[in-house]
Formats: sequence, structure tokens, C-alpha cells
Amino acid sequence: MNRVARSDELHARVQRFASGDSAETFSGLAQEIAQFQREFSAGFARLWARRSAASDAVELIPGVPCDAFRMTRVALHPESDDQARFATSGTTGSARGIHALRRLDTYRALALRFGRAALLGSNARPRVVALAPRLDDPPSSSLGYMMALFMADFEQSATTDVRAPERWLLDEQGVQLAALERIAERAMEAGEALVVLATSFALVGLLDALEERRINAPADTVVMQTGGFKGKSREVDGELLRRDVARAFGISEQRVVSEYGMTELTSQLYEATLPGSALHAEHRGPPGVYFEPPWLRVVPVDPISLEPVAPGEVGIARIIDLGNIDSAIAIQTQDRVQRTGTGITLLGRAPGAPPRGCSLAVEEFLRARGS
Amino acid sequence: MSDGTPTARRARLEPLLAAARSLLDAASERGALARTRLVASTGLSPQGVDFALRRCLEANPSEDELLALLAATPEVPRANVLLSANVFVAAHRAIAIALAASERVFVRPSRREPALAELLWEATPGSFQLRSELELEPGDHLWAYGSDQTLAEIARSTPQAVTLHAHGSGFGLAVLGNARVSATDLERSLLGLAEDVTLFDQRGCLSPRVLLVAGDPGRALELARELATILAHLELCIPRGRLSSEEAAELTLYRDSASYAGELFSAGLGFVSVSPSEQFILPPVGRNLHILATENPLALIANLAPFVTSCAVEGDPALRAALQHALPCARSSRFGTMQRPPFDGPVDRREWSPRVLPT
Repeated sequence: MNRVARSDELHARVQRFASGDSAETFSGLAQEIAQFQREFSAGFARLWARRSAASDAVELIPGVPCDAFRMTRVALHPESDDQARFATSGTTGSARGIHALRRLDTYRALALRFGRAALLGSNARPRVVALAPRLDDPPSSSLGYMMALFMADFEQSATTDVRAPERWLLDEQGVQLAALERIAERAMEAGEALVVLATSFALVGLLDALEERRINAPADTVVMQTGGFKGKSREVDGELLRRDVARAFGISEQRVVSEYGMTELTSQLYEATLPGSALHAEHRGPPGVYFEPPWLRVVPVDPISLEPVAPGEVGIARIIDLGNIDSAIAIQTQDRVQRTGTGITLLGRAPGAPPRGCSLAVEEFLRARGS
Repeated sequence: MSDGTPTARRARLEPLLAAARSLLDAASERGALARTRLVASTGLSPQGVDFALRRCLEANPSEDELLALLAATPEVPRANVLLSANVFVAAHRAIAIALAASERVFVRPSRREPALAELLWEATPGSFQLRSELELEPGDHLWAYGSDQTLAEIARSTPQAVTLHAHGSGFGLAVLGNARVSATDLERSLLGLAEDVTLFDQRGCLSPRVLLVAGDPGRALELARELATILAHLELCIPRGRLSSEEAAELTLYRDSASYAGELFSAGLGFVSVSPSEQFILPPVGRNLHILATENPLALIANLAPFVTSCAVEGDPALRAALQHALPCARSSRFGTMQRPPFDGPVDRREWSPRVLPT
């Protein structure tokens, strides 16, 4: 079987696995995808050859560092086959990398399945808006693309126009507060729920714009919060932000749900705090604990040896994502994590080597080249 | 105000230079003491400290260099010096600049690496004062060295009545032209470059992190292999010192990123990487070098210019001239002398601005 045929077959199997309609195991599929990538990616084959592990355990699949996306194309297919090119904004504000996707149907299937489980409570068909910049065409932001998917899917309306400007409520001037208030009021009047998809820095901007005021929003409003601040706003402690956002919308803190995702991945993790959601029913997770979908696994590893750490110990996250069929099955991040029961606690990005002397630190260089 | 004659200013430098000379001889009491203290404070190996002292400490600058240093340095009422961590030999030049500027010099050593400043102070009683904190007065001049983040903080907190001379972070670039050279000359050049890489154990801004090779990728691979071998041999004579856990983690991620993106050659404890793409990340500390093949080095450096503090060129005089023109603020040198620029002022000749980090 050639590369495309094998890739297509793996996409179909991963989609079946994600839908729960498969007897395959996570490990089995992960190992097959790793094998596929070893055959068709010279970079991954080199990385595999360097590893010291003799075992084929799925936890030991070598992770492709995020920086590799900034140095080279991380894809098994040629550019001519790209269906989407999502650009990294860089957790370091760094030079941009590209995550090229040959197929978007798997991305859509996985993002929607877990997004629905985490963000939809008992009230179906909410109105959905984003505190994010307008979606570009073609989409270059995986987050923007995912938000547009949620708009179209959650509303289940034939008339939903995900490119309508009134859905994207962040521009150069900041959060469009008046527009958000209008939409919230209309949702109240129509008896609809409201889902607000937002980056953390946009939420800080919203709080700054509101000062002490509140938004008159439906009681079953859900706010999805994602991402760091990336120097775009003042930094706010996560717990404080959750509390203030909940107060601003007049909702309980459980209805502010954090998402963890990155451009280099196909899949996302969520908190399981939203009452009535499928994820809450399964995990009833406290705030700050993120849950993996069945097709993704986080392996905390030692930052120097990259070996998995003992259960419960802090490591940096290696993320094995079955959705990354045509790029990199395992991504090595610098995010510090700890397994907490069945979930994952995020502890922030591992500090780069502190600048010593006058040599330019790797992160400073990346940041500067990206600016 | 001091007696500002050139003779008086020149005379203020002499005790410091004598102190530096006294550290060079490992067999002398002061030289031995320096090595013991510097090994403890820097984390470099004993051989690494000795190599850095011998190669980088400017104990015998020429008279022309000293005259240039005096000419480039303003005379001021009080000179304050804020030293960065590591690049331990840099304390000597920084203090010399301050002494050229004023007879009242206050130095705050790095908390992490105070040893060389202390050794020089002990050997030159009364020449300058060591302070744990600088107390700036209106009209003072402050020479500050460090990361751009640190300098941005200093710039924000320095009173307006104080003149700040800031020298930030950067990196060195090595360029190998495609002129035909003998195998012996090439080997000599590569050994010099490997020594420059070794001296980056001090984490200095002049050290080479990237080698641009004029020509095709095959040539870059060949050179990478050769350099890796030389670096490994050099490590046997001059062992690498310890890395912090953060540095070791950075090295691991660099290794895997570079391995994915191109070819990676083990070079003792470090690595030489080669990538076919013009995108690269700076190799971290730990005896690493990234090699890029390019038909047009000048085009490639256009985006790098603001960060390049030094540029060493071999193999093509015309290319050297063109690079000097393209990088007017970078120190120009040959391989093997990157960390030994003329003693004529700060090693970093770029005008600092908070260009790297948003403030």
C-alpha cells in the first residue's frame, strides 16, 4: 500500500476509534502510526534511531519537539497536498512554524467530539461567539478554525454564517463589548444558551473594559477559555481569571471551562467542570485538571532524559495524538504537567535556561525573529 | 572631576592590567587561587578556566588598543558597572572601561559569578570599589551588561539623570567562503572554530553558534563531520563544565529538534547539526554548532544582523569585506580569535535598544 492509501486507512481507523466503534486499542493504533511515520518521514526515522529505549511501549515513542516545526516542515506529504496550514503563534512568541494537514475531516471529527463533550451542557443549540480575531481565509489559526467549527456545529442551524463579523468580537481596538452585550441580550430574550469561546488575554481585555460592570447573559452561558497571555495583556492568575469571568457573566465558576490545545496537535484537552456535560458526568473533575480524549495521551517525561517519570511526578508533557497521522504522532512540549488521578494538571511552561552572561538565549532569539 | 589628561587616564589602567597579568600564570600564587575560585564559581572545568584565562583575558593589550579605548570612552564624574553572570573574563574589560572613564568607579559583580571582579579588586587596592548594590547619583554613568530582559528592566528603573551604556545579548556567526584552501589550512581553521565553540562554555555573546558555509549541502555535511570529530578530541583536553538542569533540558530539545530537521553529529557531549532549511534555532550552550549551507551568505544574514555581535570569516577575502560592510557593528575576526577582539571598548558595538523583548 502506498503512503496516501495507508494514511487514508489510518484516518478511517482513528475516526472509528474516536467514535467508539472500534475494537482497536490506543497503543496498537499509536504504534502503527509511529511505524507509518518512520517509513515516510526521514526526520522521524532519525529521531527513532537515536532513542535508547529497547521497548516498543507507546510511552516511549519519541516526541518531535515543537521547535522542529520552526526549523522544517513536519509532514509526510508534499505541500501540494495540504488542505490546511496552521501557523504556530508560538508559546514563546517565536518564529512561526506550520502544522500542515492533509485531511481536515479527522481534525473536525476529533475536535467536535470532545468539544461537545466538554462544552455542551443540558441546553443544546446555544448561540456561539468568539472573543477572537475574525477568521482568515484560508484559516491560518487552528484555534480560529476550531472556533468556527464549534459555531457551525453547536448551533445546528442551516443559517449559521461562521464568517459573519458579529461572531468575532476581538479586533485591534480590543474586545467589542457592546456587540457582546447585544448578543447576550438577544440570547436571553430568545431563551437560548450562550457559548463564548475566548483566549485568556481576550478575557482579560473584556474584564478591563467592563471594569466592575456585568454582562446580562443567560444563566447557562458557558465560557471556554484557552491559551496563555503571550505578552498581549497583563497576566492574571488562572483562578482569579476564572472567578472574575464567572462574576462578569453572572455564572458559576464551573461554567468557565479551560481548554488546552496547540497548533502542533490535532486534538484538545478540557477541564470537566461543566454540569450536565458528558465530560463532567464521566470525571467530575475539579478546576485546573484537564482530561484527555481517548485518542490522546499525555506522558509526563523527565526534561533531560525524556524518559517517563514515575506516576504522580512532575514532568514535561509528551503528547501522543492519534489525530496527527500525517505529521508527528508524538509532540514533545515544554509544558510542565503532573498526572492527577485520571486527569492532568498543567503547571506552566518549563523555564528556558535563564539568560546567563550576554549570550542570546534560544527563546530570546526565537521571540525576536518572530517579531 | 579627575585629572583628565590622557596620561592620567592611561595610568589608571595599569594596575588593572598588571592584576590581569598576575592571573595568567597558573603556577603563581594568585594564578592558582584564581583558578580554584573560578572553577568553583563558574562551573567550568579547571582546563576550561585555564583556557579561557589564557585565550580571552586581555592582560597585554597594545598601546594602540589602549589609546583607542581611551578615545572611545567619555570622561565622567562617577562610573558604575553592573556585571553580568558568567563570561567571567568580561569583568576585566568592563572595569577597564570604567577606569578609563573615571577615577571613581563602583562595580557590582554578578551574584552568581563574582570571582574575577573580586580577584581584580584584591590585586588593585583602591583602584575601584566593589558594591553589592549600586547607589546611582545624578550625573553618573552606568555601564550595564546582561540579557536584554535584564537591560530592559535596568533601563526602566534607571533615573533619567543617569547615563546608561547598555550592552545586551547577541551571538557570533562564523562564515566559511568557498575559495579553495589547502587541507592543512582548512584543518587549522576548523580547529580555531572548535576552540571558539569551546570558549562558549563561558556563555559569551561573541561565541559562534552558527556556521554559514558557502556552497552546497554536501560540503556542509562534510565539514560538520570533521568539526564534530575535532570538538570531541578537544573535549578530551578541555572537558566541558557542568550545565544547569535547564541548560541540559534545552540541550536535549535542541538535539531532538535538530535531529528531526536535519543531520546531527555527536561531538563529545555536544552536537554539530546541519539542516537543509534556512530556518534554524540557536544551539544552546554545551559545545554545539549549527551549520547551514547557502549559496548566498549575505542574503541570509540580512535578518540576523541586529543580533550578530561578531563575525568570523575564512576562505574568501571578498566575502569578508562584504560581511564587514553588511555587519558594521559586529566584531570582525578570523576563526580561533572570535573571543579576543581588540581591547578598544566594549566587545558589543551595537547600539542597544529594547529590540528583543517587548517592554
